Amino acid sequence: MEQSDRTKVAILGAGRGGRALLDLLHHIPSIEIVGVADRNPAAPGLQRARELQVPVTTSVPGLIGNHDVSLILDVTGDPEMETYLHAHKPPASNILSGSASRLLWKLIQHESKLEAELLQSEKLAGIGSFAAGIAHDINNPLQLILGLAENLAEERDLTAVHEQARDIIEAVKRTSAICRDLTRYSRRASPHEDVPVFVNGKLDEALKIARYASSFHDIEMVKQYQLGAAVKGNPDELLHVLVNLITNAVHAMQRGGGTLTIETTAHDGQVDVRISDTGCGIAPDTIHEIFEPFFTTKDPGKGTGLGLYNVKTIVNKMHGTIAVDSRINQGTTFTLTFPNAEPVGQGSLP
Amino acid sequence: MSEFKSGFFVGGEACEGRVLVVDDEPDIRRVVKMTLQKAGYEVIEAENGEKAIEVINSGENRLLLDVVICDIRMPKINGAEAVAYFRSNYPRVPLIVLTGFPDTDMATSFLRQGVVDYLVKPVEGEKLRASVARAIEQRELARL
Repeated sequence: MEQSDRTKVAILGAGRGGRALLDLLHHIPSIEIVGVADRNPAAPGLQRARELQVPVTTSVPGLIGNHDVSLILDVTGDPEMETYLHAHKPPASNILSGSASRLLWKLIQHESKLEAELLQSEKLAGIGSFAAGIAHDINNPLQLILGLAENLAEERDLTAVHEQARDIIEAVKRTSAICRDLTRYSRRASPHEDVPVFVNGKLDEALKIARYASSFHDIEMVKQYQLGAAVKGNPDELLHVLVNLITNAVHAMQRGGGTLTIETTAHDGQVDVRISDTGCGIAPDTIHEIFEPFFTTKDPGKGTGLGLYNVKTIVNKMHGTIAVDSRINQGTTFTLTFPNAEPVGQGSLP
Repeated sequence: MSEFKSGFFVGGEACEGRVLVVDDEPDIRRVVKMTLQKAGYEVIEAENGEKAIEVINSGENRLLLDVVICDIRMPKINGAEAVAYFRSNYPRVPLIVLTGFPDTDMATSFLRQGVVDYLVKPVEGEKLRASVARAIEQRELARL
């Protein structure tokens, strides 16, 4: 898109509303955010703007005067600001303030609520397919526990009694870990602020969950982790992304097995996460549709068609990108690229 | 060579029969073995369908195997494939499925294929031993 075609937007107010607007508008290619202003230099929206390399200022006149701003979004909630803007705005620019900007804020809140609902329902639909894996992983230790306990009732050798009692305790711990992992995964993503997340740890957690969703038999695992690779985001949502991609990779190799390669690299202020399989691949005529909502190649009732759509939504929310490379019957690689968790441009801040 | 049948002697002890346990979990093989040995069975093990086929085709097992207890969710050749193999190549050896995942459709399909019992883990020792004893009895009856 030509630079001149883009709508130039200034955001006034960098509290929660300003920050949400910034996050939303930042993804829209036809919008250029020329700056964010707030009297408070520590406002959360200003911090986010710095991460996104959007200019920040504490001076409203400077922001609206120095650019040919076409739209001023006033989310300060300050009635005097509204009066000031109407008196001083550049002639060609429009103002959204007062009740109109409050309505916009409400719509944004509503959208983010819907997005969270969509994510949760897709996650819960997916957990249905865990039944076989969970049953397997709970009933096997139960068989061990029952068998050993039956034996203990008659066992006379004290050494054997001690050994088997220890084995029972270990088996119980393993079984309770399954429930802990799954309840942690199935709960709604906690709405906490973005935090730095170590990717390698999340990948290992995702691998544990993905084992319930699909059989890892005949699948060779290759892990190449860069130590300390960290990204910024919601840890629960990132886990969901990784479980989704790993499960897809394993499903693609369900016939005949293959190799699952998981790789993390950090370079030039970014972190790459690569998940590759040697499975069936994605047909070239559908590859451009895979991130669309409700697109699925599974049988009716088997897939929600929301998996990769939600993956992309979360990755974008984390200011990352997702790319796919696939060859029929050779395999697929998904590459996620995120900004490094170190705040961008930190060196130039006071 | 005399004809092999159940109730032969191993190392001077009475042996109720030889059972092959096919399961990828060593824990399961361990307790099933423990449970059956107590009742006088000789137990041999295989960790997947592929190994099970190797075991049944090796040496005297071809003739001496009395029962196969088979898991379903396993690597290499899975339980369903192994069951199909055993049924077509060793139709005289009774098969018991021992699975962690109760699935009615699967159970029906196995029983139709001639599997003598479909047990869901965790199964009590007594029930497992009864199932094995019944399988051997049916086999003996079929021989008559």
